[in-house]
Amino acid sequence: MTVQRLSFDTKRTTEFVDITELLRQEVRRAGMRTGRLHLQSLHTTLGLAVNENEPLLLRDFANMLERFAPAGAGYEHDDFARRVDVARDEPVNGHAHVRQLLLTGFATILVEAGDLVLGRWQSIFAVELDGPRHRELALQLDGEFSPPRSPARSAAPAKRARTVGGNGARSLDSDLIELELSRQLLVDPEPVSAPMRRLVEAGGKRLRPKLVQLAAAIGPRGEPLRVAALAAAVELLHNATLIHDDYVDESTHRRGRPTVAAAEGPERAIAVGDYYFAKATRLIAEIGNRDVTSTISKALEAICASQIDDVALRGAFPGDHDSYLRVVRGKTAALFAAACASGAQLSGAAPDIVEALRRYGDLLGIAFQMADDLVDFSPSSGKPVGLDIRQRVLSLPLIYAAEDRTVGPEVRRLLAGSLGDAEVGRVADLVTSCDALQRVRREAQALVDAAVRELETIELDGLRPTLIGLAHSAVDRIS
Amino acid sequence: MSVQLIDRELDRLENLWEDGLSDAYRSYLEAVAAHEPAAQPKLALAAALVEIGIRLQGLGGRAAAPPSLLMGDLCLARSSRLLADAATQAVQIAFARAIEAMSTAAASGASAPAARELLLHALKAS
Repeated sequence: MTVQRLSFDTKRTTEFVDITELLRQEVRRAGMRTGRLHLQSLHTTLGLAVNENEPLLLRDFANMLERFAPAGAGYEHDDFARRVDVARDEPVNGHAHVRQLLLTGFATILVEAGDLVLGRWQSIFAVELDGPRHRELALQLDGEFSPPRSPARSAAPAKRARTVGGNGARSLDSDLIELELSRQLLVDPEPVSAPMRRLVEAGGKRLRPKLVQLAAAIGPRGEPLRVAALAAAVELLHNATLIHDDYVDESTHRRGRPTVAAAEGPERAIAVGDYYFAKATRLIAEIGNRDVTSTISKALEAICASQIDDVALRGAFPGDHDSYLRVVRGKTAALFAAACASGAQLSGAAPDIVEALRRYGDLLGIAFQMADDLVDFSPSSGKPVGLDIRQRVLSLPLIYAAEDRTVGPEVRRLLAGSLGDAEVGRVADLVTSCDALQRVRREAQALVDAAVRELETIELDGLRPTLIGLAHSAVDRIS
Repeated sequence: MSVQLIDRELDRLENLWEDGLSDAYRSYLEAVAAHEPAAQPKLALAAALVEIGIRLQGLGGRAAAPPSLLMGDLCLARSSRLLADAATQAVQIAFARAIEAMSTAAASGASAPAARELLLHALKAS
């Protein structure tokens, strides 16, 4: 079962928001084949409906709601003189609550053959009754799931297999990495493998193993099985750090599923993280390339040191640009850079190529993190808006908003206090209203451009377009 | 190991030296005597960092608070880098297997094997 939240913003007082395609994407993303999609409104003035998306019909529905429960028709709920504990910003919305009673707050949609089961004219609507507002739906997918697809493949659709160097060595298909990951999890003890399998099977972009794989196709040595072992180890290492991070950040969900700490407790999370930290370093040691071992171990050290800095900086939330770069360079970019460099080292690439790819990975990793920060402010991402704000996670858009001459003072004041739903929503609105998101977008794009320039100085034997495509895909999700 | 070298390898972990790390370090010095002289202090420190790191994390016991967990993570990472610098492949693999054994026991709720015993054994791997 997967558990997640869908967030979106409505624009009008009464609005039928067609969420069919959004739900379809969630089913696809989760890899669900057969089962049920359960949907629940988390608001008392937001209903759900399954009906036809025909504009005149939607106006008929709105008119019907107005007839049954007209606005301002003397609802007792709107008599604030008689109510207790009325919030200062309480809206006059008795009609909206009554209208919601005519609709439903829950829906279950069947899923077959990986798609929603809907009649030809049926669409699924979230019905706004008291907008415009930021809204959230709870979503659970319960049923049979296919093995995760590799998003990295679609992120970099260029060549899959090719011949490089003089010895005809071949690069690997992503499937080999998935097979190696599955194989490694199969041989591990159940108490540690079961939580890690859930995390791995929930998806993830597989960007780091993809970078290993691409970089390993550059040098003269072609060893697909060792490349797959390194790529799988890097992905396991990444996931091991996520398991500990989730405990530290008190995150309840990742990739739409409960975190190991939330589902099985922090003790299990620590043990599973440690196991896969150790296993990944063992797999890398078994490859027997000292340069590769050294590269990955240095990255791991940088990640852990930056995690400490990251938590320490939460006392000065939201921090500043320099601190942000220092933390992100260790926390995210170090493993991107190491994935590129170690893949190239394994393939026997020349030192100048290894270093250029290391710089490419570093720049790409920082750009990737900036893009990830932007997702936190995107209602269409499928993730709850403002999660980073709520968890006080280092985020460049927040840093820029806090520096903004107009909204900065209010952002800083809000971030200095306790952050409930109202404060988080207000901060998100302020960030969106200034040019913070545009600044971050431009900066991420400039980093991608710089990463691509690193590739111009070295001989990549036809891999350049794929690496360029991968770099652009890191920020495409925010353009 | 020279004082300067120890200082460098204890970056961010200085407080642990007086808090059990130096004792643990000394207890592994004898076990590394069979290794190359230049590698001995790094190997002893790597073993001591694993022992102290998992203790900081609360592995096999009550979960540590996040700051302590992160410090433990850094101990394990530093140890891993020291092994990459100075250990043979066999010792690197044996260290990893020792941590795998301890974390499996912790995840299973079984009594954990003694860390020092496992690490002393790992240092003899060839």
